[in-house]
Amino acid sequence: MRIAVVREALATDPLPLETRVAATPDSIKRLKALGFEISVESGAGEAANFPDSLYVEAGATIAADARANYADADVLLKVRPLRQREDLDAHEVDLVRSGATVLGFFYPGRNTDLLERARARNLTVIAMECVPRISRAQKMDALSSQANIAGYRAVLEAANRFGSFFTGQMTAAGKVPPAKVLVIGAGVAGLAALGTAKGLGAIIRSFDTRAAVREQIESMGGEFLEVTYKEDGDGGGGYAKEMSPAFLEAEYALFRAQAKEVDIVITTALIPGKPAPKLWFKDMVELMKPGSIVVDMAAESGGNCEVTVANEVVVHNGVIVLGFTDLAGRLPTTASNLYGQNLVHLLTDMGGAKGWKVDFDDEVVRGATVTHDGQITWPPPARPAAVPAAAPAAKAVVAAAPVAAVAAPAPVKSSGHGHGKVAREHLGSARTAPLTWVSMAILVVAYLGLSTAGTDVQGLHHFAQQLTIFVLSCFVGVQVIWSVTPALHTPLMSVTNAISGIIVVGGMLHMHGDLSKPAPLLALLAVLFATINIGGGFLVTRRMLRMFHK
Amino acid sequence: MPTSPEVFLPNAMDVFKTLAWVIAGVLFISSLRGLASQETARRGNGYGIVGMVLAIVAMLVAGSDHEVSTLSFLIGALAIGATIGVVMAQRVAMTAMPEMVAVLHSFVGLAAVLVGYAAYLEPGHAGIDAAERVEIWLDVLIGAITFTGSIVAFLKLRGSVSGKPLLLPGRHLANLLMFTASLGMVVPFATMAGTEALPFLLGMTVLACILGLHLVAAIGGADMPVVVSMLNSYSGWTAAAAGFMLNNNLLIITGALVGSSGAILSTIMCRAMNRSIWSVIFGGFGADVPAGGGNGAKVEGDMTETTIDELTEELRNAKEVIIVPGFGMAAARAQHAVRQLVDILRKRGVNTRFAIHPVAGRLPGHMNVLLAEASVPYDIVMEMDEINGDFPNTDVVFVVGANDIVNPAAQTDNTSPIYGMPVLEVWKAKRVVVLKRSRGAGYAGVDNPLFVSPTTRMLFKDAKAGMEELVAKLMA
Repeated sequence: MRIAVVREALATDPLPLETRVAATPDSIKRLKALGFEISVESGAGEAANFPDSLYVEAGATIAADARANYADADVLLKVRPLRQREDLDAHEVDLVRSGATVLGFFYPGRNTDLLERARARNLTVIAMECVPRISRAQKMDALSSQANIAGYRAVLEAANRFGSFFTGQMTAAGKVPPAKVLVIGAGVAGLAALGTAKGLGAIIRSFDTRAAVREQIESMGGEFLEVTYKEDGDGGGGYAKEMSPAFLEAEYALFRAQAKEVDIVITTALIPGKPAPKLWFKDMVELMKPGSIVVDMAAESGGNCEVTVANEVVVHNGVIVLGFTDLAGRLPTTASNLYGQNLVHLLTDMGGAKGWKVDFDDEVVRGATVTHDGQITWPPPARPAAVPAAAPAAKAVVAAAPVAAVAAPAPVKSSGHGHGKVAREHLGSARTAPLTWVSMAILVVAYLGLSTAGTDVQGLHHFAQQLTIFVLSCFVGVQVIWSVTPALHTPLMSVTNAISGIIVVGGMLHMHGDLSKPAPLLALLAVLFATINIGGGFLVTRRMLRMFHK
Repeated sequence: MPTSPEVFLPNAMDVFKTLAWVIAGVLFISSLRGLASQETARRGNGYGIVGMVLAIVAMLVAGSDHEVSTLSFLIGALAIGATIGVVMAQRVAMTAMPEMVAVLHSFVGLAAVLVGYAAYLEPGHAGIDAAERVEIWLDVLIGAITFTGSIVAFLKLRGSVSGKPLLLPGRHLANLLMFTASLGMVVPFATMAGTEALPFLLGMTVLACILGLHLVAAIGGADMPVVVSMLNSYSGWTAAAAGFMLNNNLLIITGALVGSSGAILSTIMCRAMNRSIWSVIFGGFGADVPAGGGNGAKVEGDMTETTIDELTEELRNAKEVIIVPGFGMAAARAQHAVRQLVDILRKRGVNTRFAIHPVAGRLPGHMNVLLAEASVPYDIVMEMDEINGDFPNTDVVFVVGANDIVNPAAQTDNTSPIYGMPVLEVWKAKRVVVLKRSRGAGYAGVDNPLFVSPTTRMLFKDAKAGMEELVAKLMA
């Protein structure tokens, strides 16, 4: 089977030019291993720093004729949706042969005409942005791989225009406070932005309607901003749903408060199949300090900020609003490499060249295929909800997990460990309370008992002293024992065995007088048994402790 | 009474004795303190020995009016006792530590009873008043319960009597009656002058002995860690009671230390088994209807068996391995073979560690001692809390003779008898291999869904034999 890779950008295109390419020398090697032949249009990888020679080295052929490259291909790998090739004076949908398969971003919701044309040409179109966000498909999730890059770049673009350090510094000349970065929406892009900003030394905070991402934000050292109104915005598949008006009111109030404080705002809010929600209004921009930056990562879908203009830098009231739509493309080499790998994984899933099959029983393939066999197969039938109502908290974390796995290289610390520690500490403090009450009770009962039994004052006084010693010793014991490491609990038992042999003293006290009388004899026996304890206990402890070594 | 309250002028010997005892008390506290970590533990044991020698020497030198003949008997008894103890300690196998500990508890109990009787029969220079009789009564009561209870625990741990709980009908009522009767006898005992009340003391002793037997007999084999630490606690309280009886502060201090030590251990064990401390004190809890209220969901599914060859392959390819030892390892004395396995794996660069559940084995910390005996370095032996978060990143978890402590039903099935018990979350690992003698359930008699989990493989072999085969295969 032949795969074609084509040029994504033409000199005549409106800016910004696409810099990415659908296959890189790395991914070509893996595609060859899957049994595909690959032909690459000359110059396809140039913008991503992959000259034709590297492709040849990796085992691809360079197509001399761009038209033939389309026509001969069984599978066309694309980044951008199919488009008009001004230089060839034809549309890509007509350049590929009928019945071929096209993999790339497609946006069927926005491109309904194109969808119809692809159907009419009997193409199988697999839209990369439609790959379902399930854990098995993480490696094929191009939206995540690109969003991760875009989030990183968004911070760099902001830093580039920001008039100060990100990290706080104490210089000889004076103090520079650290930049405060607010990221709205902690999906893949948002988490990547948070990580990057943190790495540069900024104070990071984030807002997200999904309560489940709190842990991820906090694990990156960010502050999770909360509104007082309770509502979980998990819409499934790693996206947030639209929120109620009351919630939005609270959210906007929070944003207005933050606008006065933060230096950089990065917005990443997207709702699948709908224009991006407006959440950073003109008045919020006006509340910000001059020189502050807004990076609107949703600019392509209409923008989260009211003043955003797609692909432009707008300065409003001294605040710089960036509406770049090509953030991932600004790291063309890595973006192409990761996208290329996503495609390789998807093609592997489809059976490679040998076992090639557009298998509609495969949830991933079914979800991503938008036209097939002359039919429009988009939108796919609803699959069972990923978030059963029974266990919202636990499942919600799972749903968002693919997002975190891609975005945050630092592993999110398992909570199991933490719980254990907390429980242990709690145990420690809870321990002494019942003991206090028990010893108090013993004290009172003993006192009452003795005074009613008619013990004289001196005896009572004497007893009280002993009881004091007893109770204090119990507390010392509790404190000391609590610090014993569990690994030494057996030696602890044997050493306490040995020292409880101190009862030997009791025996010795009664060892006077004639041994033919019962009392000294009993005491003698007591001494004997107690010494067995002492000797045995200490020695066995010693034996055990000698065995412990690093 | 050696130090009668009428003597207000302390002589030099009394001062010496008191000082020696204070120092001994401090040394005992330091001794326990030393056990906080492996580095200081040996020194801690040393402190204990010094403290004990000091106390005994002070007693011998400044004790009381010892005549030469009694003194020689006394020294003879000390020598014989120490020798017996040393021989026992040298002979005992590490797997038999629980029995050793239990039998030592019984000696403390017995000694306390004997001292109590001696104090009653030979009241010294001054007579004894009601309060002191109450103290004697208390000393003998706790001592007798500790004595017989420890004997039963010893026999159960040795396997001389069945580990199954003895459940007589109406046992709680019987316990209550015996306890009340013993309690009731204190009144005539305390009020009767001289040694006239001896029959009451004897009667109470017999009742307390039966009570001790019965309490421990009603507890099942798997709950032994709690019982042993509970008896440890009792042996401390009995020493403290003797201290009250003899007006001896050193005994009170030491008894309180040991008593609270055992009490803490029991509570830790109870938490680890998700049982209430009160049900342990009143006995027979091991067979009660559990808090979960049911027998747990029936486990459906098939166990997948594995072979030594397959396991060898899996261990060869693993990067992270955790071994979870249980009583099965101790019973089969497989700890040396386990250490060989660990040596091989670590030499190959596999990060191999142990995960120890607080109630693994028959004694708190039992597994740690067995592994230490086999020269496993203690820094790879982890507590449950330390390691539970690491299972998801583990390639192979190797469960050796453990069952209930790795049962996921404790977290998922609220009808399970062990529901709520903290467990090692081994099922989160990529592969779990369970080395087990048979297909039977664990001591709690609970089905374990871990065994039928798709990532679990079963190896039905004796722990030692299986381990040795595995080691041979890995070396080949």
